[in-house]
Amino acid sequence: MSEPRAKSSACAQFRYALPCELAEVPSARRAVRRFLTEQGLHEEELAACELALAEACNNAIQNVREGGNLHPVEIAVLCTDSKVEICVNDRTPGFEWPDQVDLPDMNSERGRGLFFIQSFMDTAQYYRGKNENSLVMRKMRCHQEHRQASAAASVGEMQARLEETQDALSDMARELCFRTESLSAIFRCSSGMGRGKNLPELAQQLLNDLLHITSADWFVLRHVRETEQHLAAFAASDGLDVSRPLSLASASIEVQAALARRDLSFGPNCPLSKTDPLGATGQRAVGVVRPILAGGDLAGTLAIGRSVSSEPFTAAQAKVIQTFADFLGIQLVNARLCEEQISTKLLAHELDIARNIQRSLLPRSLPQLRHFGVAGYCESANQVGGDFYDVLQLSDNSLLLVVADVMGKGVPAALFAAILHSLVRALPEWTQRPAEMLARLNWHMYEELSSVDMFVTAQIALINAKKSQITVASAGHCPVLVAQPNIPGVKRIAPEGMPLGILPTTQFIEEVHEIRAPCRVLLHTDGLTEAPDVTASARAQQWLERWVKESLSRERTAQQLRDELADELRKAQSAMPLKDDQTFLIVAENQLDDAGTG
Amino acid sequence: MKLVDKGDVLTVVDVKELGANNSDAFRDEVKAALPNGFKTVEIDLSQTNFIDSCGLGALIAIQKFATSHSGSVAVRLLYPMPPIQQLFELTRLHRIFEIVPRTHE
Repeated sequence: MSEPRAKSSACAQFRYALPCELAEVPSARRAVRRFLTEQGLHEEELAACELALAEACNNAIQNVREGGNLHPVEIAVLCTDSKVEICVNDRTPGFEWPDQVDLPDMNSERGRGLFFIQSFMDTAQYYRGKNENSLVMRKMRCHQEHRQASAAASVGEMQARLEETQDALSDMARELCFRTESLSAIFRCSSGMGRGKNLPELAQQLLNDLLHITSADWFVLRHVRETEQHLAAFAASDGLDVSRPLSLASASIEVQAALARRDLSFGPNCPLSKTDPLGATGQRAVGVVRPILAGGDLAGTLAIGRSVSSEPFTAAQAKVIQTFADFLGIQLVNARLCEEQISTKLLAHELDIARNIQRSLLPRSLPQLRHFGVAGYCESANQVGGDFYDVLQLSDNSLLLVVADVMGKGVPAALFAAILHSLVRALPEWTQRPAEMLARLNWHMYEELSSVDMFVTAQIALINAKKSQITVASAGHCPVLVAQPNIPGVKRIAPEGMPLGILPTTQFIEEVHEIRAPCRVLLHTDGLTEAPDVTASARAQQWLERWVKESLSRERTAQQLRDELADELRKAQSAMPLKDDQTFLIVAENQLDDAGTG
Repeated sequence: MKLVDKGDVLTVVDVKELGANNSDAFRDEVKAALPNGFKTVEIDLSQTNFIDSCGLGALIAIQKFATSHSGSVAVRLLYPMPPIQQLFELTRLHRIFEIVPRTHE
């Protein structure tokens, strides 16, 4: 229960916090009666006010909402020369105050409370609120003996009242000045933000203003990001070394305030621990750490204090600190959202660029041999990677097929794919052997790839129709699949070879196999068989091999087979979204004389 | 509050206040004593300086109990102070209670 306090002047006030228990009502009644007696109320008025107050309190306690009894019933009494006003706040569900309060049936044991209030008081108004309701009851003072007493007040008493009023006025003026300074500091900060100044600089400026307003001499503003487990310095007053981030597991007062989500004060009675980073502000330092919350989430902490004077902050200064901290919390979160928006836009832009590069690398049409047709497919995942394929005609009877996968996503992968593409186009001038081609590619690209910790897997297959041969070299790439009627199952051609960019000089092995029409040759990237786990991936590989083998039974051109396989892959994707690019080149014997395009 | 057994009459004395905080206990105590063969219950209100609507409710409950459950026990209210008398009149309860005014003291 809070102590009743009274103020003696022409308008006297009295407040009482009544614990929410009926047994406490008599004490409240007596306290109010004592106060009103001091104000010179007549016995009849006293009895009326006492009864009305009791009824209001009984209602507030007997009908209190669940949990409401944890709060006191607030009673406020205002007494002037002409009237008494009693206000009782309740936490009940509330009710509609009837226009006319009638007496209940004579035998009813209840229902006379409102009747008493209305009968004994001159007016009663009931205001319903969301959590609290207020009953305001007024009684006009008819017995005026007290007025003569008041008129006889001595000059001394008048003087005392005047001084009291002057004190109150200067308190108010000080507070007004305080608030004006706070508001203008916040406006200055807001307008700085509008002019595009950066937040750390503005926070520094705002908090320097706060030091001035609250007569403090140092501050530390820290922030925390969702994914981080530490409080990092965002701004601090000059001369404080706060560069080391505070782990959220540490015992410093800033972390404790952040975790407890409440203000923690320190001072001579509650000193900082010797190891606390704020200990550098001095042995006699006083101050407070306020957690900065935004939308219920922790955004940071503001520590502010005095190292010269050991006088604690006044209630008004503490309020200003809270306001500034809350304001900074909003700004921190806004700045963070802004940053996120920009980086999302940048990323989307980067992906567009990468997608354009990748698209430009794919040949519009593919060269064809008389006996063999070839078709290509490349489908990008959401995050563009560095897959690409190319087909070069080396002679009337030979085609060079290249499929590569640059490890990584986005613009860097796409750029390496572009370099690889140019180098591949230049290769046939040097050599026509797939293994030598890979060695040369590695030699050209090793330095660039290794400097950014990237690598490329690639596969080069040379089809010589005249010799009915396929020569394959691989740089860590998945096998070339070959299906022919005369061999059981599917042949996997996977000669050993390191991916490009791993070692400065690498030798590659070639495998030569016979191919005769009808046949199917599939070069692909691992995106075709990518699955969440090894078993699923092995299952996907088996499925792909079965598909290649079974396709032999259908008379199809390379383009038709490309479309069929692409359809199958798209069907599989509807169950699981594409995570990696899917690229393949498929070769089939020509059924028709006219050669298709890729 | 005290209950005084005067043979046929049960007298309730020393009632300082009858408010929401104590009216239930007051009612239950008097009701519990009634079935002991009393013909009259006298509630002495001469010391009572405060009664609220719950206090009045307790008196009505005693009156109802006395007439319905304990046969025909009469309830008499003794010597209420003027503000309390005023309450009975305002609520017209003076019509159902037998009130012995202070002037009869």
